[in-house]
Amino acid sequence: MNERFTGHGPEWRDSNLTPVEAKVATAWVEVKVDRRSMLTSKERVEDVRDAMWDLEKDGEIVVHRVRDEHQPAIVKTLYGWEKKIPTTRLWHHKSCGQCGNIPGYPASLLWLMNRMQIEYLDETDQTSCTAWNYHGSGIGNLESLAAVFLRNFHQAYVAAKAEGLPDGHYYPLVHCGTSFGNYKEVRGYLIRSAKLREKVRAILGRLGRLVDGKLLIPEEVVHYSEWLHVVRDRIAAMREIDCSEVRATVHPACHVYKMVPEDAIYDDTVLGGNRLANSTGLMQALGAQVIDYQTWYDCCGFGFRHIISEREFTRSFAIDRKIKVAVEEARADVMIGHDTGCITTLDKNQWIGKAAGKGVELAVLADCQFAALVCGAHPYKIVQSHWHASPTETLMDKLGIDWQAKKAEFVAYLEEIKNGRQENLYDPRRMLTSGPGFIPLKAAR
Amino acid sequence: MSGHGTRVQQHIGDPVAEGAPLPRAKLEEIFADIQSDLRYDHELNGCLNCGICTATCPAAHYYDFSPREIVQLLWTENLEGIYDAMQEKIWACAQCYTCAARCPFGNSPGGLVMLMRETAIKHQMQSAKDVLRPFSRVMLKLISTGNQLSPDMINKDHFADWGPNVSKVEAPLKLLRKAIPLPTLNTTATAWEVNLKTSVELYTIWEMTGVLKQLEGIDENLYDVIQDIMDEKREDWKDFLAEQEEAKNE
Repeated sequence: MNERFTGHGPEWRDSNLTPVEAKVATAWVEVKVDRRSMLTSKERVEDVRDAMWDLEKDGEIVVHRVRDEHQPAIVKTLYGWEKKIPTTRLWHHKSCGQCGNIPGYPASLLWLMNRMQIEYLDETDQTSCTAWNYHGSGIGNLESLAAVFLRNFHQAYVAAKAEGLPDGHYYPLVHCGTSFGNYKEVRGYLIRSAKLREKVRAILGRLGRLVDGKLLIPEEVVHYSEWLHVVRDRIAAMREIDCSEVRATVHPACHVYKMVPEDAIYDDTVLGGNRLANSTGLMQALGAQVIDYQTWYDCCGFGFRHIISEREFTRSFAIDRKIKVAVEEARADVMIGHDTGCITTLDKNQWIGKAAGKGVELAVLADCQFAALVCGAHPYKIVQSHWHASPTETLMDKLGIDWQAKKAEFVAYLEEIKNGRQENLYDPRRMLTSGPGFIPLKAAR
Repeated sequence: MSGHGTRVQQHIGDPVAEGAPLPRAKLEEIFADIQSDLRYDHELNGCLNCGICTATCPAAHYYDFSPREIVQLLWTENLEGIYDAMQEKIWACAQCYTCAARCPFGNSPGGLVMLMRETAIKHQMQSAKDVLRPFSRVMLKLISTGNQLSPDMINKDHFADWGPNVSKVEAPLKLLRKAIPLPTLNTTATAWEVNLKTSVELYTIWEMTGVLKQLEGIDENLYDVIQDIMDEKREDWKDFLAEQEEAKNE
């Protein structure tokens, strides 16, 4: 008898399955992370908002409500629960990665809002969520994440004061997928843990950021892709460029639908309600062909720390599991995402593939950038496609956009800027709501 | 080597490695720190070794890393194995939380990894110092400004593997930033302009939550640099408040 050292202990016996039987026995581990698998593979969880309302009733917290004046749309989440998505009076909670390296991402979003006459505020009194650093390094902790969350959301609540408007006028709209996931996770812990609330109450008190001596918790944590989803038909009505020949793959962000999955939006009209609705619903409404692919559920390879200091992992995963599959299997023209890290990873990590004989190329854009593009936004002034390393020009060719002419316009515009003629999406004075340089708008007028 | 215990208990981590094993009390202290986090019981509910987490884990494709193993080590309270995993393995996790979305028990291996990373930092493990050294510019940027990434960090020198198309329009960074139609984004050293008051508030959060202490333990030089920046900004804020007061009295 052959000696075997399996490490499983003496009780272990080989099952002697045939290859077919083995495949059947293990196929379940390859099931995709879609709505169906999340509903069938585990027990239903509680709706943390129920406990939130109880806490407010008990006088423990104040809830920042999505009010009628925010013109909310109602959507359904994983278990069919309702979620209120405000559609106007929005406070932009920016993403450091988007603003730092994909500026066409927020610019396209605000451009769409201008076209739709949505009221919003983009101001300087906000930090990032700090969760990229936390997930990358472990520097930070639950209390710091919670305090940053509550500080930023409190600022969203009071920001309108600078314009002579009441508290709660604006509702925060979170741009980053990691911020969105992190804030929802932290909100859950804040609602469940009196100990955590006590710790952060002391901090928020020191900062002068309590409401009637209480912590302010948002009724809903809302991601911008959810806003896009609920207004997708209005955006589609503004479409100027036919995109029906575009084969689009969607990369849903892990921190948007795998973190606190019970809060992710599913819509029966979007891929049978079995996939995250965000972005896919918008692309369908715009008339593009959404092409499914086998690694839809995979992450992008960002890794938080890896993208900075262990990039061989990031680029290998991005190329092998996402870009290559989208190009070879889905024959895609574009990959659409809705998160900072994913867009960066998938966009920037293509060129290096040539070194390993994997020279696949695919345009990568955020959903709002694609929407802005087909609604007639300038590809450089607004969509800022020159910050993208991936071949966005190929996509523009397919859409019939004369990108060379547009690029020349942009280069000429740079000369205008040198002469002080800069175009903005909103009055720059509004970006300051306090501190050095702040002039109350009425006084400024 | 003392005669009691199994081989794994006698040797920490690699059984053929040289060096004295860590005292049992220290291992218990490390585990107690992981377990004391209020998230621990929420993120660890049981484990039948089904391996669905590892089957779907991106890091498991490329590293000697298995979320199932992490959960098992914690579930069985294998103190030596936990310490061993904290030397390298926990840093492989990509923090995508696919494992958490899929685990039939509702475990969050990715979340548990974060508790282990925080503990590795608290105990100033050399592994954490080594892994985080190349990440220091992100930490510097975040802790001092509240932004994690800035346009001046993205350049061809730092990201040669991103290729020649990092910017497809040749122009000075400052000018390209001015060409973004959001006034908050006309910056180069931060992703957006951060209000001075915001930074000062953030420093209070760092101090009151022990984040600066964490940083000091892992990178003293970085800590000193950040302290200087914080002092400077706090002075600026005080000056601003004094000016405001003066203006009010005039």
